[in-house]
Amino acid sequence: MSDNKDSNPKQKQSADHKQSTNQKSSTDQKPPANQQPAQTAVLEPKRTSVGHETRRIDGPLKVTGKAVYTSDHNFPGMVYAVPVGATIANGKVTKIDAAEAEKMPGVHAIYHRTNIGQLFRVAPDSTFTAYTDEPRPPLEDDIIRYYGQYVALAVADTFEQAKAAADAVKVTYQEEKPNVSPKLTADDKVKVESHRGDAQKAFDSAAIKLDETYTTASQTHNVIELHATVAVFDGTKFTMYETTQGVVNHKNVLVQVLGVDPENLQVISKFLGSGFGSKITPWSHCALAGAAARKLNRPVKLVVSRKMSFHAVGHRPRTQQRVRLSAQPDGKLTSIQHDYFNHTSMLDDYKENCGECTSYLYSTPNLRITSALSRRNVGTPTSMRGPGAVPGLFATESAMDELAIKLKMDPVKLRIINEPTIDEGLNLPFASRHLIGCYKQGADLFGWDQRDPRIGSMKKNGLTLGWGTAGASWIAERFPAEVAIQLNNDGTARVSSATQDIGTGTYTVFAQVVGDKLGIPIEKVEVVLGDTSLPAGPLSGGSMGIASIIPATTKAIEKAVDTLLTAAVQSPLTKFSGAKKTELALTNGNVHRKDQPSKEGVPFETVMQQVNLNKISGKASSPGTFSGKKQSSMHSYGVHFVEVTWQEELARLRVSRVVTVIDAGKIMNPKTGRNQIEGAIVMGLGMALFEGTEYEPTKGAPINSSLADYILPVNADMPKMDVHFLEVPNTELNEYGARGIGEIGLAGLAPALANAVHHATGIRVRNLPIRIEDLMGEST
Amino acid sequence: MVQEAAVGADGKPRIAGAMPVTLKINKKQYSIEVDPRTSLLDCIRENLAITGTKKGCDHGQCGACTVIVNGRRINSCLSLALMHDGDEVTTVEGLGDPDHMHPLQDAFVECDAYQCGYCTSGQLMSAAALLTEQCGHSDDDVREAMSGNICRCGAYANIVSAIQQVRSKS
Amino acid sequence: MKQFTYTKTSEINSAVQEGSANKTAQQGAEIRFIAGGTTMLDLMKLMVETPNKLIDINHLPLDKIETTSGGGVKVGAMVRNSDLAHHPYIKSHYQVLSEALLSGASPQLRNMATTGGNLLQRTRCVYFRDTEFACNKREPGSGCAAIDGDNRMMAVLGTSDKCIASNPSDMNVALMALEATIHITGKDGDREIPISQFYTLPGNSPDVENVLKPGDLITHVSIQPMPPGSNSTYLKLRDRASYEFALASAAVITQVKDGKIAHARVALGAVGTIPWRSPEAESVLVGTAPTAENFRKAADAALKDAKPQTHNKFKIELSKRCLTHALKLVTTA
Repeated sequence: MSDNKDSNPKQKQSADHKQSTNQKSSTDQKPPANQQPAQTAVLEPKRTSVGHETRRIDGPLKVTGKAVYTSDHNFPGMVYAVPVGATIANGKVTKIDAAEAEKMPGVHAIYHRTNIGQLFRVAPDSTFTAYTDEPRPPLEDDIIRYYGQYVALAVADTFEQAKAAADAVKVTYQEEKPNVSPKLTADDKVKVESHRGDAQKAFDSAAIKLDETYTTASQTHNVIELHATVAVFDGTKFTMYETTQGVVNHKNVLVQVLGVDPENLQVISKFLGSGFGSKITPWSHCALAGAAARKLNRPVKLVVSRKMSFHAVGHRPRTQQRVRLSAQPDGKLTSIQHDYFNHTSMLDDYKENCGECTSYLYSTPNLRITSALSRRNVGTPTSMRGPGAVPGLFATESAMDELAIKLKMDPVKLRIINEPTIDEGLNLPFASRHLIGCYKQGADLFGWDQRDPRIGSMKKNGLTLGWGTAGASWIAERFPAEVAIQLNNDGTARVSSATQDIGTGTYTVFAQVVGDKLGIPIEKVEVVLGDTSLPAGPLSGGSMGIASIIPATTKAIEKAVDTLLTAAVQSPLTKFSGAKKTELALTNGNVHRKDQPSKEGVPFETVMQQVNLNKISGKASSPGTFSGKKQSSMHSYGVHFVEVTWQEELARLRVSRVVTVIDAGKIMNPKTGRNQIEGAIVMGLGMALFEGTEYEPTKGAPINSSLADYILPVNADMPKMDVHFLEVPNTELNEYGARGIGEIGLAGLAPALANAVHHATGIRVRNLPIRIEDLMGEST
Repeated sequence: MVQEAAVGADGKPRIAGAMPVTLKINKKQYSIEVDPRTSLLDCIRENLAITGTKKGCDHGQCGACTVIVNGRRINSCLSLALMHDGDEVTTVEGLGDPDHMHPLQDAFVECDAYQCGYCTSGQLMSAAALLTEQCGHSDDDVREAMSGNICRCGAYANIVSAIQQVRSKS
Repeated sequence: MKQFTYTKTSEINSAVQEGSANKTAQQGAEIRFIAGGTTMLDLMKLMVETPNKLIDINHLPLDKIETTSGGGVKVGAMVRNSDLAHHPYIKSHYQVLSEALLSGASPQLRNMATTGGNLLQRTRCVYFRDTEFACNKREPGSGCAAIDGDNRMMAVLGTSDKCIASNPSDMNVALMALEATIHITGKDGDREIPISQFYTLPGNSPDVENVLKPGDLITHVSIQPMPPGSNSTYLKLRDRASYEFALASAAVITQVKDGKIAHARVALGAVGTIPWRSPEAESVLVGTAPTAENFRKAADAALKDAKPQTHNKFKIELSKRCLTHALKLVTTA
């Protein structure tokens, strides 16, 4: 690594952080003087759990079966609904014969287009406040555009009865040949996503160039919690228990689909069995359950089966990406071209934005990125963890590795040589970018300098080792958020927002922030989420949840504390009576004079008791970051170093070791944070080696629609993992400098693994997943 | 054919063809009538509303439904409730409650051996069974023994840590 | 799931008597025994199996593992996979069987699955398992969607133009190598069938998978001792590291005397339409030195008649590597 000169002055700073993974001593930017807490005359250590390895506050509920997930809801008189999915992927329904099904024991109704009642489309929305990837409501017409599209719904007293009735509904189709071809071509116009200079000209004249096409398979999220709706209708109002990553968005969609006023529909999701994007927006089954509940005036439980999860609750679409790179002999990129397709459904324009990071990841004067859609008879695709960037980086980071080999250059060095000083796509300075710092720390931890670049040259315990690396990036943005805080006179606080914990630790981090701001232990903080009756909180998507809630939470607390201090000085019953509010502060849970340490003060609950206040509230909102002109390029970065073992005599490939370094600013809770990155590594292993939804060509059915046939990593596949955070906070997004970490860990893992596979085997696999047969060379 | 009453003694709709079964779940006895098609999983969750045990695939391919029957872990989705007449069933609720957690439950919280928590009940029941099974000492042995429980969040490393923590203390 | 009546019995005779009312004991049976349920309920949920009567045989007195006077073992049909795999006598005398069982499914499923039930494990062919597709095994005469479909997992040995579904078993591959005997009681009394004669190739009737007749109940599996000084092992290759059906597997038993292989038994998994014993490989091995070259020759012989489909040609080479490596492991142990 000593020969790798750091060409970017900014990186000097990150290099300083190399050995300080968990230090929080410096930030990218100093806060302006007027924002510093200068008024505090007495400096004292502040009680906080922010940045600490904190146990999840909802943990005891999760490990005892007391955490209530959507399908855990049972109500008196509740009936069960099972959808009937189309068994063709293209054509139309000509007849639905429900006579036999309707007569079966326990059956209440068989619903189909002619008797479900009107369901409405969702108006176009680009703000993620009333957004759905599939605006067509279920049963709107008789046209079938994808396999498994719902054509009917059986409702019965029990699940067994409803399932049997659904199986007994006879549907006749006029079938046409579906198009599920994996070969993608542009069906709509090609869109230029970004360009600068003349990439083609530079490519044509370059001495060293690479022109390869990469594909990634269609992936099904396969979260273990099945999608579900429990719809309760009281004659006027719906209470919808939903599996959703965004209760507010979910509500705003469902009021449109069901045609009810907003005050008559509440969405609740207290615990979510993860989503990874598949639960960001509502799918057709939600409306079916709601419509059935309204028709029958009974609670309806609808759980989407594992098989149906492959049909109508979204998937990551297949991508096909051509990457052209050209470089000077010294490795400096002279051009990048990235042209990608993804399949989408017949009705919806879902774009997998593979070029997401291409425009700013490397410095090059010439660049062109284009996208295009290929229409297929498949269900509507949707976001899956790191949408766009994750498959996109597989292509571009594989290509960089291939280019490094052509240049006979270390792949880390190639990245360093091409590190940009500004975001050349937006022509803006980077707010915080420490990608090279990630490479350097990761290389040290991994022992990258021991790498022998010759194919198959590294051996250990009779196995061939392969070492590969790749970098990653992900957006850092904020959604608008509204948060309410309540101080209680027993010394506790309650914070609430209509956002949700999808497994990332939102309950806990919320408590940490409130605990930090009030200076109270997190055990004294009650966090209430997952209910649209609360102030409108953000979607849990795009790794933006925590970053989004911090500013609103802080403001809400400031308001509540202001009210508390006002009460303290106004009341004759407190020791602060008659003081000026500006002379007081709340520190470590105590109201105190600023010129005295907090231990000389009074617990806030004592002040409240003295004044006879039961609760003090504060509510505030903060804007999102999508609108308005950007001042800087704000992203997270990361690097993976992957070791695979290859045993040619058994064609056995295993991932043995992964070192990951993430530059995502402040890590609010390293315990949950590290877990998320480790989980992403495991998911990346699945993406690289196992996962792919296979659409059968004759019927267009996802043929491997089970967890025995769509392979996910199991515990025994897990490599040894070593995850580090650079932790260089940048406070543009929020005062802690925390950016999201949900997706960044998955980005870059698959190319790092594929690069390692090449190092071990000499076989460059450009089509994910990498399968045993790909590595068997001539013998297949 | 004799007309069956629409509503049973418990006020719930009478299920055609239902048969009696007695299950002892978490040391409490339940005598109910179930549709013969009812899986042990659905019986526990839907008929008895003991919902800690989860359904993830309904085909024995994920492990979320793992419960312990007569001391052995099984996939409750691939077993009929009627096949367990008189059996002792332990679900995650029987392991401990938030105020009295089983050492494994505490270790899962301490090690952050979950994310979304949905597969966790199954993981815990597998882990609890593992403590009494023939299983080697190494992390690899535990990984293999826990491979019948899929965690899509990928908290596998922490699951192994939690189990090893408890095993090293016992 | 289709509605059915459920009965339970703890007597072998009554199980046989109730089962005898069946028209067939093969695909389409209206009466089914249910033991572990791991295959039966799975297929009933998929509507692949639609019996109108289930006879719960979990309480039959067939849950013992007994050693026989000749040093062999007799395993009751209700013995669970996990109990068989962990039984000290099985572990010490029939390593190949213990390893095969432990490589299959998951600990939970092994606690449920029985020896008798596992002998009857059905294919994992996705077209067999999906009633929307043509399948001669599920619905005779309907065709085979796998031949022109996604056939990566399908068989390369013993296929016919009617069916290419692979047998997914691990245990039965070991039992093939061990030349187990299957004890059956039926309405005409008891009989013993060598496992080599138990399974039937798909041919023109892939719906018929074995020799069982209505009322037949597997009561035991017996295994003779392996020749003194022989070693055995089971090697399974698959995409992920655990909890997955094999892409290729091999059960091998060898006895090496004076530097030559004196006795060899070879069976292959995941490549055949039935658990695949390979006398061809065995005859190549016997009398030769245990060398990599000879192992590879044996593997070539075993797969000589293999017929690949569009997506599974690699299984032939993978199976060869698997067998070669298993032979290496067992002769260097």
